[in-house]
Amino acid sequence: MSGTFQTQVMLSRPYLTRSQIKRAQQNTIPDRRVYNQKRLSAFKLLCDMCVQLKFPRKTLETAMYFYQRYYLFNKFETELCYDVATSCLFLSCKQVETIKKIADIVVASLRLRNVLKVSPEMQDNCKKRIVQLELRILETCSFDYRVNNSIHIDGILVKIAKDLSLSREVTHLAWIIAFDALKLEILLMVPQHTIALAVLKISCELIEGASWPNIRYSLFESDEPSVSEAYFDILNFFINVFDLSDLRGNLTENLQNIGIETFIELKKHAGLEKGLKEPDNISSDALLTNERDFTIRERRYVLSRKRINDERSNKHIQKKEKT
Amino acid sequence: MISRTEYSKEKKVGEGTYAVVYVGTKRSSNRRIAIKEIKTSGFKDGLDMSAIREVKYLQEMQHANVIELVDVFMAQNNLNLVLEFLPADLEMIIKDTSILFTQADIKSWLLMTLRGVHHCHRNFILHRDLKPNNLLLAPDGQLKLADFGLARNMGSPQEFLTSNVVTRWYRAPELLFGAKHYTGAVDMWSVGVIFAELMLRIPYLPGKDDIDQIDVTFRALGTPTDKDWPEISTFGTYNKIQFYPPPSREELRRRFIAATENALSLMSGMLVMNPHKRLDPIQCLTSEYFLELPEPTLPSELPKLNKN
Repeated sequence: MSGTFQTQVMLSRPYLTRSQIKRAQQNTIPDRRVYNQKRLSAFKLLCDMCVQLKFPRKTLETAMYFYQRYYLFNKFETELCYDVATSCLFLSCKQVETIKKIADIVVASLRLRNVLKVSPEMQDNCKKRIVQLELRILETCSFDYRVNNSIHIDGILVKIAKDLSLSREVTHLAWIIAFDALKLEILLMVPQHTIALAVLKISCELIEGASWPNIRYSLFESDEPSVSEAYFDILNFFINVFDLSDLRGNLTENLQNIGIETFIELKKHAGLEKGLKEPDNISSDALLTNERDFTIRERRYVLSRKRINDERSNKHIQKKEKT
Repeated sequence: MISRTEYSKEKKVGEGTYAVVYVGTKRSSNRRIAIKEIKTSGFKDGLDMSAIREVKYLQEMQHANVIELVDVFMAQNNLNLVLEFLPADLEMIIKDTSILFTQADIKSWLLMTLRGVHHCHRNFILHRDLKPNNLLLAPDGQLKLADFGLARNMGSPQEFLTSNVVTRWYRAPELLFGAKHYTGAVDMWSVGVIFAELMLRIPYLPGKDDIDQIDVTFRALGTPTDKDWPEISTFGTYNKIQFYPPPSREELRRRFIAATENALSLMSGMLVMNPHKRLDPIQCLTSEYFLELPEPTLPSELPKLNKN
């Protein structure tokens, strides 16, 4: 069959495990060190843009998800990464209904990148690239609007805290920690409400006198492995780079004693590191191992595996009828 | 899984600002479908918000009275939305003077509309563009809410919403006053106006422009006062408008000759000025109007367009 008359069905998988992410990145990220370095500066750009354009945290969160998700399936090139970041923010504005004109976003992006003279031509070229990237980003998310839609870490964190009658102090600290959590790959692994639970748990453990209630995570539509995955990921982040974290600069006076040692201590108490179960079939998982074939004429995106199975069995029946 | 292309585009049936619509076939099931090809080039602000909203809200909704989003696919760098093929809409039926319809038919269409709206609202989605033209009719008579290009989440209390929504004639008073916070009540107002239009067979509140819409609305239904809508004086434009008394029941009876008392009560309930006091979908669906005779016509027996 000729390549131009083909269709491909893609099942949306908005969350992947750590090993699955690593496997996908093998195809797209040639040098991990450079990628991480650029990711930090791209995220800095996103943060600065959000401050300048007065976007809420959910816009930033969604943009950061898009950025990391994009590089699971598209080759990382250093020259383009700021445009990718800008496009992610532009798209996330539409996603969470904090709409801004493309011109405003482009000007802010170029200025913050220290482009001294922003000529109209430069703006137009940047706009073009951003619009072109937009659909690519959505494709890497399989047009799946179940994620990054109405639940965001900062909002759900406050709701869960209220539900569990946690103190204002605990919730405020969790809210600050959650800002650091945005920059981690954990966004690609577990949904936002799970990250909120993990952050609240850490916060309870950091504040004297507070204790994390022994709850069943199913009450909040989550589970132990997912919360643990987020919990340990965030602890490890602070153990590794506490000095570079935003938490360090935003601790209130009575919490100034929190430092790397505090997190090492927490990890000691938490016991063996646990998290999501890694599947066995990673090396044969086509989504992760095959590079995307954009020459296939029709690329369909579906949300449920049932749909794919139903279609397969339909085809099977049709074939049988023909024979 | 790789096989022959699943969708064929057979005939162009329409073109809007952001999409071209084709009729086509889903090959694996031989089902007739409509394909909305989203135009991506030529737009200054990239992918149109309406396309994003349409996918976002239809993706997870499944209800007999909401249009089905069958599939989403990319072809030659274009985004395509595959939707149920629905050849007619309520506006065509209302306008086609060769079609006669009864009170039972009106009740059936209103019932299906309310069921669709109820489903949206219980999923915290506002439609924000209900009008006869967006109520599509399936070959089996089922009415389906379509065009979710203006839909959005109900949002959190502190969020600002734009009041520049809903086609003018179906716009609720709080929107006419420029409210930044509103609820599903805006959709209920539109349903009320559609109900009136079904009974009159002409648009009920046809304002010529945004200013005229305020005048037309309050002339027909009375200018709200702060007695029945305390927040009304907080809207800047309120003090500048002409005062009209609300219509008496007798005047309504004369305007809607064929309507029963229960029909009038239901309609007036949806056209209450104060959005907090306006009926919600559940109150409407359980109203006396749906309990009294005649029973709503079965969808399959509803009048259809006389196709050449």
